[in-house]
Amino acid sequence: MNNTWLLYMAFAVMLLFIGLYCLLTMRNLIKLFIGVVIGAKGVSLALVATGFVKNNILLAQALAISFIVVEVCVVATTLALVINIYRQTGSLDVRKLTKLKG
Amino acid sequence: MILQITLLCGVVIFSAAAVLLRDLLRSAICLAVASLFLGIIFFRMKAPYIGAFEISVVAGMITVLFVVTIALTKTEGDVRESRAASWAFPVFFIVFLIIDVMVTKSLLGRVPALESVPDRGTFGETLWKMRTFDLVGQIGLILASVFAVLALFRKRSKDE
Repeated sequence: MNNTWLLYMAFAVMLLFIGLYCLLTMRNLIKLFIGVVIGAKGVSLALVATGFVKNNILLAQALAISFIVVEVCVVATTLALVINIYRQTGSLDVRKLTKLKG
Repeated sequence: MILQITLLCGVVIFSAAAVLLRDLLRSAICLAVASLFLGIIFFRMKAPYIGAFEISVVAGMITVLFVVTIALTKTEGDVRESRAASWAFPVFFIVFLIIDVMVTKSLLGRVPALESVPDRGTFGETLWKMRTFDLVGQIGLILASVFAVLALFRKRSKDE
């Protein structure tokens, strides 16, 4: 693999690190999903960069489009969940989600 | 290449700002700007379809979803983020960056190139003929997501 690919991979891993840091340290539910989206950006960059370097950009685009569709579905569903959690608990603090009500 | 590296740095900086800013609306806007930069990078990699998709769907639709959620929840000042997390971020990031650069340098010229067959045909042929199974999965996933959102926002009957 050439140096261009490694450069793109280094930036993709940086984005994954930022997303993971956000997931591990933040308490606001919306911030947590911002972390998920940032991590997903790193993954789509890695997919497209690999396709670009290997001369397989069409296949990489098809895969990245599938990935973005999955990302959008996950974000839409989780944000609907966040709104429901806010209506139930009156807060977006992840530390308050300790009780299960059956 | 310099412009490409500048754009990549822009993506990383705006993503970090999205995590560190306290105001959620500003975070969402930073996320949209990072997506916009990533879309431009994809256009420069000769990948116009994914570039357009990234700008329209991720920078556009996901930002709208985030802004609507922020507007519906209105919890400014409710959730106190840990100050230590914000202060520790640059330290952790610099340590990670050093490890990242060292690992990348050690891998230069060592990772063997995988065999691949160059693309043939058009993007439409690749998407519809080669990845048909993905498309079926995507349709199922979109339907599942729609049902999930409908179930979460359903009107409750008086008995519940």
